[in-house]
Amino acid sequence: MRETRLWSLHLLVIPIIVVLLGLHFAVMHYAPVFYGVSVEEARSFEVMVERGRSVAQFVLYILLLAAGLYHGLYGLRGILRELPLTPSLSKAVDVGILLFGLLIFSFGTYVTWWTFGYKIGG
Amino acid sequence: MNSNTPTSYPNRLGVKGWVYAGRYTFERYLYGGHRFAGLGLIAYMVLHIIETANRMRGEQAWAGLMALFASPPFKVIEYLLFAAAVFHALNGVRLLLTELGFFLGKPKEPVYPYSTSVMRHRPLTYVIMALAGLIMVLGGSSLFFP
Amino acid sequence: MASKNTTPREITFRVRRFDPDSDSAPSWREYRLHVTEGMTVLEALHEIKAQQAPTLAWRSSCRMGVCGSCGMFINDLPQLACQTQVLHLGTDVVTVAPLPNYPNVKDLVPNLEPLIEKHAAIKPFIIHPNSQEMDVPSGEFLQTAEEREAFSQFTYCIKCGLCLAACPTVATDPLFLGPQALAQAYRYTVDNRDCGLQERLEAIDAFHGPFQCHLAGACSQACPKGVDPALGIQLLKRTLVLDSIGFGKKKSSVAKLSPLADVVKAIEEFAPPPRTVNQ
Repeated sequence: MRETRLWSLHLLVIPIIVVLLGLHFAVMHYAPVFYGVSVEEARSFEVMVERGRSVAQFVLYILLLAAGLYHGLYGLRGILRELPLTPSLSKAVDVGILLFGLLIFSFGTYVTWWTFGYKIGG
Repeated sequence: MNSNTPTSYPNRLGVKGWVYAGRYTFERYLYGGHRFAGLGLIAYMVLHIIETANRMRGEQAWAGLMALFASPPFKVIEYLLFAAAVFHALNGVRLLLTELGFFLGKPKEPVYPYSTSVMRHRPLTYVIMALAGLIMVLGGSSLFFP
Repeated sequence: MASKNTTPREITFRVRRFDPDSDSAPSWREYRLHVTEGMTVLEALHEIKAQQAPTLAWRSSCRMGVCGSCGMFINDLPQLACQTQVLHLGTDVVTVAPLPNYPNVKDLVPNLEPLIEKHAAIKPFIIHPNSQEMDVPSGEFLQTAEEREAFSQFTYCIKCGLCLAACPTVATDPLFLGPQALAQAYRYTVDNRDCGLQERLEAIDAFHGPFQCHLAGACSQACPKGVDPALGIQLLKRTLVLDSIGFGKKKSSVAKLSPLADVVKAIEEFAPPPRTVNQ
């Protein structure tokens, strides 16, 4: 049932991405509507780290990172493995994408954690 | 096939078959568009994670990066990404529903002229495409004419 | 849409030729033929072979759309040559090529072994828990009209291979099972006489199974018998997802045998219709 479960998870993360990415777009592009600050201010360093220091932001960003990376990299894996590959190359694609995903997820989590713990003014 | 059989000519369409392969229905080309948008989005996502990590280089570096992204070429790229995300998300909703067997109708004895599941869910496809177009126009107007 | 020109006239046939003994790659040849009303592409090929190209090769048999032999790529769509009327195509030039995504043996002849092998891989037969009953039947399996309708559409497949020619995944992935095999996997899985999903999982829960279908829908468009393989594949995905979370078909729910006494009674009560021919 492995492929079925991998595909089911690919679908299950869709609502998570739709909601969280929608929120992310709202914050970044509709800041005047939602937060009363201009778009440029919403992207400024101070506002960004202030936003990143909330627990909700921390948790939701990690969740969006995981969901987005899983969904996107599962799709990329599908596209690559639908090419005529040898069995060893197919295995290499699977392992390579998994490792790449873990690497990027770790890096993104580290940056989010850094923002969470950042103290303005040192 | 025995060793005396002459070699066949490989006739596989290859990646070209994702783009144009014949006079097929609209949904086949939505498949190609969905893939293309998806590739753009995953490439962007990885770059975005790396780019936003620049915050760790300090306030000056971050401000410089934001100034760069506010320039016109990046505004256009930003819009194209937004359009890709809207298309991919809305077409994805259609695929989420139909790939689990919804909106396709039930199997029944085929009577000519045949009705297929693809044609039966065409109204949903039209609604999704219209919604995607509307959001792209609204998003474009707010990005380029805030 | 502009109306097509369906008047009988001279039509140019651009036919893709390939002789494995002398050619390294296919090439196109043109043949002009006067086409009359009702003439199919298959009939046109026979005329061309008789008058202009005696070595032209293709596969055909029944010439009435039931054997599935004459699948070709006609005017950029996979079609059965015997079911395609030349004048109804509405063009002055008709291109005829072998089905894409299959190795091209000669001229218009595809090697359909990939189709047959993939079909065999999904175990296209009823797998019933009582294998002795399958080998030596003692009665009938009970099946309601609704249970039959759940899979009946997919039994109309004539294995013509047009669906694999149309599929964008088959275009790149030689190991993808393809619409025909996957639709047949659904046909057997959902049949109430079958409980063989677990036996088929090795083939259909692999990477090159139904999840590599992304609903392009070209297979259903190409199918000449209205089988709608795209529908079968999406329903197969639903079946697999439900099975993975414990809502699959149970062996105990498989079709029951009709009691032998009922079968004997039906045979004994059978009366032939009244004679309509004088003695």
